[in-house]
Amino acid sequence: ENIHQEMDHSHHMGIYHMDNSTMPPHHHMTTSHSHGGGDMMMMMPMTFYFDFKNVELLFSSLVINTPGEMAGAFVAVFLLAMFYEGLKIAREGLLRKSQVSIRYNSMPVPGPNGTILMETHKTVGQQMLSFPHLLQTVLHIIQVVISYFLMLIFMTYNGYLCIAVAAGAGTGYFLFSWKKAVVVDITEHCH
Amino acid sequence: MAMHFIFSDEAVLLFDFWSVHSPAGMALSVLVILLMAVLYEGIKVGKVKLLHKTLESLPTATSQQLILETDQDSAGSSSPPVNRTHLRWFLCHFGQSLVHVIQVVIGYFVMLAVMSYNTWIFLGVVLGSALGYYLAYPLLSMA
Repeated sequence: ENIHQEMDHSHHMGIYHMDNSTMPPHHHMTTSHSHGGGDMMMMMPMTFYFDFKNVELLFSSLVINTPGEMAGAFVAVFLLAMFYEGLKIAREGLLRKSQVSIRYNSMPVPGPNGTILMETHKTVGQQMLSFPHLLQTVLHIIQVVISYFLMLIFMTYNGYLCIAVAAGAGTGYFLFSWKKAVVVDITEHCH
Repeated sequence: MAMHFIFSDEAVLLFDFWSVHSPAGMALSVLVILLMAVLYEGIKVGKVKLLHKTLESLPTATSQQLILETDQDSAGSSSPPVNRTHLRWFLCHFGQSLVHVIQVVIGYFVMLAVMSYNTWIFLGVVLGSALGYYLAYPLLSMA
């Protein structure tokens, strides 16, 4: 029975490839996938496709059906990805500017010849209930939500929207990192 | 779509032509995903190294001048050596942005591969990230 299912599947994939331009893949699969309760299985596309008909975007009320709506969605997603990159850079800048406390901790460590060396650690931080830290927290939540939105948009597997995410991220990085790159902290690791 | 991890030799990854239905195909796919994860970690380090290289290759005086000029937003009135430095800086930054786009795309591809909920693929991603981190991050503290 497994072999039969696999053969059906590849047969339908073959048909899909022939009229690639007219049928959205996930629609084709739901109507022709006919075994057992398999109707729910192919509702979400699991491979990249290029189409603008019946594309659900994040919310149930946002459904794209026309090229015009897809163009609008492309621009919106592009701007969202750009905003995300800008938010990341802005948060880094804010963090650097608001680091108020610098603590030096010195601790004795054993040296090579049995001598005692003093190892000094430098810690920079913010106060917990200060405005900069609260602002960082709010921005962090916004950043997390937007990053999940971008992930969900990429998860639609729609080629146009995925390109919008990638292009927006690149453009945002290019524009917002321009000045930031000049005053980079050498000891900073990539996030 | 199954919403739990399964061990299976069948999967369709990312593109229609990438359909796996044999152990050999699955092993090969896991290897490709593993290399993708290694590449992702490598690119993260590579971006920082690229930035260090461009900052070092600019002579110190002009790099400081570059900092001053971008801070004051002075336009025109640049002597030819500074113009050339500006152009080189622009090209380097443009190249970095392209690397950033590649990083974003590969990151999403790896995420989508994990979304297939295939346990072999997931282990490949974890192993690839570990290997990539292990190989790439020591290069960060080298000159």
